[in-house]
Amino acid sequence: MNIAGFIIAISTLITLVMAARGWETCTTVPLNDIGTDIILFYTAPINPSGSGCYIVNHLFSYPFNQSLLTEFESVPEVERAVPILMHRMRAMVFTGIDPSETETNAVLPSSVIEGRYLTPDDGHVAIIDKEYAVLNNLTLGSTVNYAADFEVVGIVEVSATNIMKSHIYVNLPVVQESLPEKPIGLVNMALIRTDSPDKVKQTAAALEERWPDARTLTGSDLAETASGVIQINEETAWSVSIALVIFTILFTIKSQLGNVAERTREIGILKAIGWSNGNVVNQIVAESLIQGAIGGMLGCALGYVFASYVLSTIGGEIGGALKFVTVDPLLLSAGFGIALVSGIAAGLFSSLRAARLVPAEAIRTV
Amino acid sequence: MSNKNIIELSNLTKIYQRGNVDEVKAVDDVCLEVPEGEFLTILGPSGSGKTTLLNLIGGLDKPTGGTVILDGQDISRLSESELVRVRREKVGFVFQAFNLIPTFSALENVEAALAPTDIPKNERLERSNELLRLVGLEHRADHLPSELSAGEQQRVAIARAFANKPRVLLLDEPTGNLDTRSGKEVLRICHQASRERGQTVVAVTHAGYVKEYTDRLLFMRDGKLFSQIPQEEFEEQV
Repeated sequence: MNIAGFIIAISTLITLVMAARGWETCTTVPLNDIGTDIILFYTAPINPSGSGCYIVNHLFSYPFNQSLLTEFESVPEVERAVPILMHRMRAMVFTGIDPSETETNAVLPSSVIEGRYLTPDDGHVAIIDKEYAVLNNLTLGSTVNYAADFEVVGIVEVSATNIMKSHIYVNLPVVQESLPEKPIGLVNMALIRTDSPDKVKQTAAALEERWPDARTLTGSDLAETASGVIQINEETAWSVSIALVIFTILFTIKSQLGNVAERTREIGILKAIGWSNGNVVNQIVAESLIQGAIGGMLGCALGYVFASYVLSTIGGEIGGALKFVTVDPLLLSAGFGIALVSGIAAGLFSSLRAARLVPAEAIRTV
Repeated sequence: MSNKNIIELSNLTKIYQRGNVDEVKAVDDVCLEVPEGEFLTILGPSGSGKTTLLNLIGGLDKPTGGTVILDGQDISRLSESELVRVRREKVGFVFQAFNLIPTFSALENVEAALAPTDIPKNERLERSNELLRLVGLEHRADHLPSELSAGEQQRVAIARAFANKPRVLLLDEPTGNLDTRSGKEVLRICHQASRERGQTVVAVTHAGYVKEYTDRLLFMRDGKLFSQIPQEEFEEQV
């Protein structure tokens, strides 16, 4: 009974904290992967120009003038605003990037696994995603066609968690010229890097306030958009868990007192054959400690399994969330330690009461 | 039997309070001297105070009045921690209900009496095995009490009572749950021990065959101890 209580409490603690950490990580990784804190896009046309079909079929959001990026950078806390033009045709995603941006971009130089990254002087050359290359037998020097022909100069490996993952990446001005809609000087997304990770929400709010048609996407927004999961941060996880652990200690004390009451006669016998109060206390505390140790170990193991399961259920939404479940020895030690301390506390409380029993009366107990 | 008294009870009284006003004198002004090595038997009806008297002699309970001198020491004035030492070193108890720890094997039950001492574990086990051999149960050492017959359980309890080589053995209805054959065997073992080791035995029993082993019979009724037992009372008791 006591062991079950420890298992429930500790596994819940481990599950909640690990799931919270994994959840927080997997919601920030898609943005961290591309070195940005905020993705800005428009949900309404700035100037009622361009065809609706163009927007609906080929762009992910309304285009806006690239010059706006300079204005975005004038907002306090915005360190850098990087232009992106993503275009979609059938199942293909074709993205224009500014190759001079090597810290924040839809794809970063560190992703190159073969060939080279783009340069600002590049013309009709492209870097392509590794999976796309393998699927279409493309290698360096191959030609890909998307509105125009491009020579493959680099192959990149992009994580499934990268929200900007595309098939083909080309120099932004070349994309603007090549697309049939000729969106010269237009982009449809800005990757915003803030100078302080603590001020992301505040900066996003400032941007939306100044450009009312603009929408911003942050890590916490991504967490809110994912469905089917109770969103919980680590602080809340710890609070819930500590409350549960306190409940478990009280439950264990009550259970141990019941246990002591059931064993009153046994305790009386032990005292009658020469056991001191200290011997009785040691015996009961040792038993309780063993229960805590077994419960703690099983609770840690079960918590890890539960946390893995919880995060695997949101894997589809964010992509591969399971891999963010990391075994934190400190957390497991804390869980195990809490179980041990609870065991000692419960054992001590009940054993001190047991030690007060008068042996003659205890033996008479049926 | 020696001339030295190992137990001396003077005006020993134990009063239990029932509610606020009702008092029960379980032991009423008892005086008794037991020489070292004697096998003393006390008879008496249920509720006459026999078990309470044994508990007071063995330091399991404290008297309301009077004194208990055990092996020259007044244990009625001792603190709980001092009483622990008395129970551990000077007294061995055997109860009617055996009172073995159900989750311990026969060997562990005997060893439990030695556990709080400074004796090393291997020596404790060796001595426990020896005691089981003494009561003829060495082959049942690993059995739980539930796997033993009533007679065997009582023999394990006797082995446990012998564990610390006590000066005094207190037997509280040791044959109460046993058939005649097992009961006699239990009393024989205790009697033999008292003779061979010079241990004093104070037994409370209803078994008529106790006469074969005992040195002295006393009678207890309403908390008082009598040295003469009316024949009809004796027959009724046994």
